[in-house]
Amino acid sequence: MAKILLIEDDSETADEVAAELTERGFEVELAASGIEGLDKARSGKPDMMVVDRMLPGIDGLTIVETLRGEQIRTPVLILSALGAVDDRVRGLRMGGDDYLTKPFALIELVARIEALLRRPIETRETKLRVGPLELDLIERTARRGERQIDLLPREFRLLEYMMQRNDQLLTRAMLLEEVWNYKFVPATNLVDVHMGRLRHKVDGPEDPPMIHNVRGAGFILRAPS
Amino acid sequence: MRLPDFVRTTTFRWTAIAVALSILVFSAFVYWEAGSSMQADMDDSIAEAALAIAAVVPERRIVTIEDRLAADPRRIRLAGLFGADGRRIAGNLGEIPPRLAIDGRVQATQAIRMDAQTAESMSVRAIGRRLPDGQVLVIARHSGELQELAAAIGRALLLGLPVAGGLSLAIGGLLSLRVQRRVDELHAQVGHIVDAGLRERLPTANLDHPFDKLAIIANSMLDEIEVLVTEMAETGNEIAHDLRTPLTRVRVGLERGRVNATTAADLQSVADRAIAGVDEVLAIITSLLRMREIEHYGDRSGFCDVALAGLMREACDLYEPMAEDKQVSLCADLDDSIIVRCDSDLLREAVISLVDNAVKFTPAHGRVRLALAREAGNVVIRISDTGPGIRADDREAVLRRFYRADKSRQSVGVGLGLSLVAAIVKLHGFRLALSTGPNCVAEITCPMSEV
Repeated sequence: MAKILLIEDDSETADEVAAELTERGFEVELAASGIEGLDKARSGKPDMMVVDRMLPGIDGLTIVETLRGEQIRTPVLILSALGAVDDRVRGLRMGGDDYLTKPFALIELVARIEALLRRPIETRETKLRVGPLELDLIERTARRGERQIDLLPREFRLLEYMMQRNDQLLTRAMLLEEVWNYKFVPATNLVDVHMGRLRHKVDGPEDPPMIHNVRGAGFILRAPS
Repeated sequence: MRLPDFVRTTTFRWTAIAVALSILVFSAFVYWEAGSSMQADMDDSIAEAALAIAAVVPERRIVTIEDRLAADPRRIRLAGLFGADGRRIAGNLGEIPPRLAIDGRVQATQAIRMDAQTAESMSVRAIGRRLPDGQVLVIARHSGELQELAAAIGRALLLGLPVAGGLSLAIGGLLSLRVQRRVDELHAQVGHIVDAGLRERLPTANLDHPFDKLAIIANSMLDEIEVLVTEMAETGNEIAHDLRTPLTRVRVGLERGRVNATTAADLQSVADRAIAGVDEVLAIITSLLRMREIEHYGDRSGFCDVALAGLMREACDLYEPMAEDKQVSLCADLDDSIIVRCDSDLLREAVISLVDNAVKFTPAHGRVRLALAREAGNVVIRISDTGPGIRADDREAVLRRFYRADKSRQSVGVGLGLSLVAAIVKLHGFRLALSTGPNCVAEITCPMSEV
């Protein structure tokens, strides 16, 4: 069971987030100030941390910077009420691994925590496999079982990203940020359209579906059971 | 001691200084002019006398000299006749002034005046001439007159300066009092205008008067401020309205749901709708904050050289499936060599926003075209579509926050997209142009200096 340190000074937000994470099977430790958070980060050996940007005492960015200076590499997700582009860039530069702007959907937070906890391992493998699905990163080809799948480059990129994170919920915002590198996209169903195309190619009419839509949240790639 | 206000003004100080300086300069000029003309007159009369005496027959020289000396009530004339060996023959000069050049021009030198009992050294203007028989004639004149002139001017200054000083203080004081009064008037008028909600203007009468020019400048500034304030108030109203609409929906939905929902599924769908409504409100607030953030984007340290073709191709790539679904053709004609200095994230956002709009508003079988080209020394990003376009009277409004040309607030997306684009373009120092009428063309022009 993964242990998460949540450093957040607003007790109501902290309690709601902690309850949600506990329900989802995480062990949550709370810290209400920067100093307490830094202590618990050093002593508690959490698997990952969720750090609010604005904290009494020591602010979130300083915590991350301090920990990185002490060679503590625990993954950190920074929460911020400031949406400024440069703020985000600074957060990531100071050693944050992901950045989420308040207010956020709980499901978005959970998806990002999962993603940080299960970051794909660097491999020299040139082929990705999920169930019957196989992606050749050298040949740039895809096949499901015996069936060859013709993918456009953008579809290939999307599938590659999903196969590296199979069984994980990937939100629309995550996909836009990671696959297309866009932080601000007009509120449209863009990702759904792309996903629809990909699903049409991956899940043939006879096949059990592998790409699943999680309503109101995002998408999961899963091997058929 | 605290000096009265008008004395402390720069106008007053500068006037006083200027008057005092001009008196000094004027006196110096008078002295110099009068002195030099007096000296010229003196030199002429000396030279003339020397000529006249040299012209008389040798026997009458002494008499002539003595006549000349006798007719000198002011005791300023000097003359001397000396033998070839320098011995004094006649006149009141003790000797030939040692530094006097014989047969030269009139010059300044020292001479000794001999009277019955006294000998006196004095400054003179003198000329020496050697006569045909070898005698030396010296004619001189005491130059004390010039010194007297200087002394007279000095006295005049001494007497005049306090008068002139007082006068200058009075003039300076008067001028700065007038300025002060005008400033106080302006101050009161401006205060009145601010109280009256910026609706009034400063009075202007005489176009040549500096204060009226100032008033005109201030008035044009007030015009600008009034427009901004009005716009801000309107924006505030629009924001309030745009927030109130979804919030009202959420509230009504929750209220009715609380009473009418009988199953958990009912309650869930009520909650889902409420969340969607709140998300809409949040999207508006996020866009507003983005807008503010872009408008206050600090330095240009985040700028780098960006190959725009790649950026625009990505935007195409992102929107292609959606365009296909809508049966809209999406094509690009991009010059790969073009590199522009910009913030790539922001410019990408602007391009995507324009493409998003174009794809959204173009009906089936229409066409959206992206072009990147060099035109007349500028780089032009052009996104054209075959949609209904923007009405001429809507164009300005479209760029303002929250406005949506169709005036219905039901369609997808909040009408902030184009205002964001406008803000991003402005931040870069580029220009945004929107065509009116059907077949909309949006152009971002980047001047070559930015390229």
